[in-house]
Amino acid sequence: MTTTKTILRSDELSCPSCVNNIESNLNQTEGISKAKVHFNTGRIEVEHDPDIASEEKLIEVVRRSGYEAHISQF
Amino acid sequence: MKSLQKQLQNATKRKKALLVLSGLLITAGWTVDIFWASGWSFNVLMLLATITAGFEIARRAWQGLWNGHTNIELLVTIAATGGLFIGVFWEAAAVTFLFLLGGWLEARTMSKTRDTLKELINMAPEMAIIVGDEGRREIPARQVEDEMQVLVKPGSKIPVDGIVESGVTTVDESAITGEPIPAEKESGSEVYAGTINKNGRIYIRATKSGADTTLAKIIRRVEEAQEEKAPTQRFIERFASWYTPGIVGLSIISYLFTWNLELGLTLLVIGCPGALVISTPISIISGIGNAAKKGILIKGGEYLENAGKVSAVALDKTGTLTTGKPSVTELIYFSQETALAGVSQEESLAEVHTASLVNGNNGSLPSEGEELLYWTAIAESASEHPLAEAIIAETNEMTDLPEPDQFESHTGQGIEAVLGDNHIYVGKADFLKEKGISIGEGINKEIQNLTNRGRTVVFTARNNKLVGAIGIADPMRTETTEMISKLRENGIERIAMLTGDAKSTANAIAGESGITEVHAGILPEDKNDIILAMQEEGYQVAMVGDGINDAPALATADIGIAMGAAGTDVAIETADIALMTDKLMNIPEALRISKLTLRNIHQNVVIALVTVGALLAGVFAGSVHMAAGMLIHELSVMLVIFNGMRLRWK
Repeated sequence: MTTTKTILRSDELSCPSCVNNIESNLNQTEGISKAKVHFNTGRIEVEHDPDIASEEKLIEVVRRSGYEAHISQF
Repeated sequence: MKSLQKQLQNATKRKKALLVLSGLLITAGWTVDIFWASGWSFNVLMLLATITAGFEIARRAWQGLWNGHTNIELLVTIAATGGLFIGVFWEAAAVTFLFLLGGWLEARTMSKTRDTLKELINMAPEMAIIVGDEGRREIPARQVEDEMQVLVKPGSKIPVDGIVESGVTTVDESAITGEPIPAEKESGSEVYAGTINKNGRIYIRATKSGADTTLAKIIRRVEEAQEEKAPTQRFIERFASWYTPGIVGLSIISYLFTWNLELGLTLLVIGCPGALVISTPISIISGIGNAAKKGILIKGGEYLENAGKVSAVALDKTGTLTTGKPSVTELIYFSQETALAGVSQEESLAEVHTASLVNGNNGSLPSEGEELLYWTAIAESASEHPLAEAIIAETNEMTDLPEPDQFESHTGQGIEAVLGDNHIYVGKADFLKEKGISIGEGINKEIQNLTNRGRTVVFTARNNKLVGAIGIADPMRTETTEMISKLRENGIERIAMLTGDAKSTANAIAGESGITEVHAGILPEDKNDIILAMQEEGYQVAMVGDGINDAPALATADIGIAMGAAGTDVAIETADIALMTDKLMNIPEALRISKLTLRNIHQNVVIALVTVGALLAGVFAGSVHMAAGMLIHELSVMLVIFNGMRLRWK
């Protein structure tokens, strides 16, 4: 399994508890080994296998949790 | 239809659509009620409004439960469902609509507070033009691999860190180094992602991209600082973790005692801890963001809180209060007429002249002054002493400085050099006296005066005659005095200078800058002891330093502030606050922002607690119902956010 780290950003996190849902949903997705959501900065760090969980898939999971996100280079 | 479905898949657009639809249904409900007085239509429209706005809330509540969390959405969902159950349709619609509207407004304003970070992130372009065997193509900058060749056109931003392979240009590197003057770049020069290529077309060989670039590291540090929780935030989060179940408990108990279901549900609505949980992070994000824009990197909420309580500041002298680079400050020489008249030069004070170079006014130096510099510099040109560097730097305009034929250094005393038939001595007074050169009373008084002002003085003699003396000092930075008075204005009670330098030098700088407490001639470990003593006396101490010798004191102090940290990882890693540039005024500015942020956090906590307290009292007094409770609750959240955001412009 090849693991890569992708950074997503969401401008929409409005309360610290918002992060729990996104984090749990990401962590339960196949192909994602670790996900961490930072409320203060809107940064979402995901360690994943791009063959199983693609970048588009990550965005989709965040969207299913109720928030929009985009891939960030930093 | 398909396009609408696609639009609604976008979470932001879906929330907005639900919000608008719910608002329209509520308006329609009230219109029906006022003009046709139709009770059942009113209730149906309010029910639809509740379902529309409540859909998103219930979905998140369900997701939370599924993931094992209880959240605010759950409280609102229970309250709205209960409201519908007991027939208060308007209250249920208002609660869900206001909660969704509040969330949308909060997200928009929170996003604004993250602007500093966005500005930093947007510094580097998303795409890079790479040049390979198949020609040019544009790819995402983060996908550029090491050794790929990247083309950067004039006027565009550099997408990766790399080495210039061909082309000549100037690059505005202010984003990384804070240096406003663009740097010249040619083949072999290093360039950084996020800097601006001003005028030439360059090809660079990529060395780092995406998260590995220098800009990414700076961004990461700001982010880590913003993510770091302050003690108050940690406390509030612990508080909130039992507060929410506590409110549920209170609402059940109230219902069991009163059998009033609406009272129980209203308690659920007003008990949402929204304003409280957001009170600290909002101030921290704004405070750290504002500081970062000014080149002050505060490492996190904890340091921000500590810096906000600072009552004493200890400052290292060399390199902090002074420039750290010795330079020639005075030239003492004798007038030409006296010398020509053959009178002994050093007999009278009137014949001794002092030229001050402190403000760089050496353009109109008389020939005697030039001569003094000339002979001194010839001797010093063979020396590696730090003071020699200052003298040579002063003679930059003298292009033909010959090298001495012979040179000898007398460690700790001075040097002697021979050029043709000129025999030069440069050094301390005792050294020259030892060589049989007399130093008269007149010049002695002048020298005493300079020594009292913290100058190091070297004498120069040529062919057994005194040519003059040169005063050298590590000059005080121009902003030092203003910085000290600003610290006092900001309520810092005690300001101390800690230095390994001699007392006279330290006193001179202290006197000029307005510092009254001086600890001179001390070792690095003594600095540590002084800070510990200050802490024992009850002061919250900030230590400001720039060198490795300050590291122990920086660590011991309640807050360590490192100067000029751009580019030096060690300083950024060890200090609690790192100033990215050498701008001295950023010291009081960092403490001021910290104090303001601390005050802002306290204000926010008070707003949140007072609102909840007042609402609880209102509910038990029977004057606050569900809809009004939610409105006031949302207003308190917005008030806390706006109060936090004020810090961005402070």
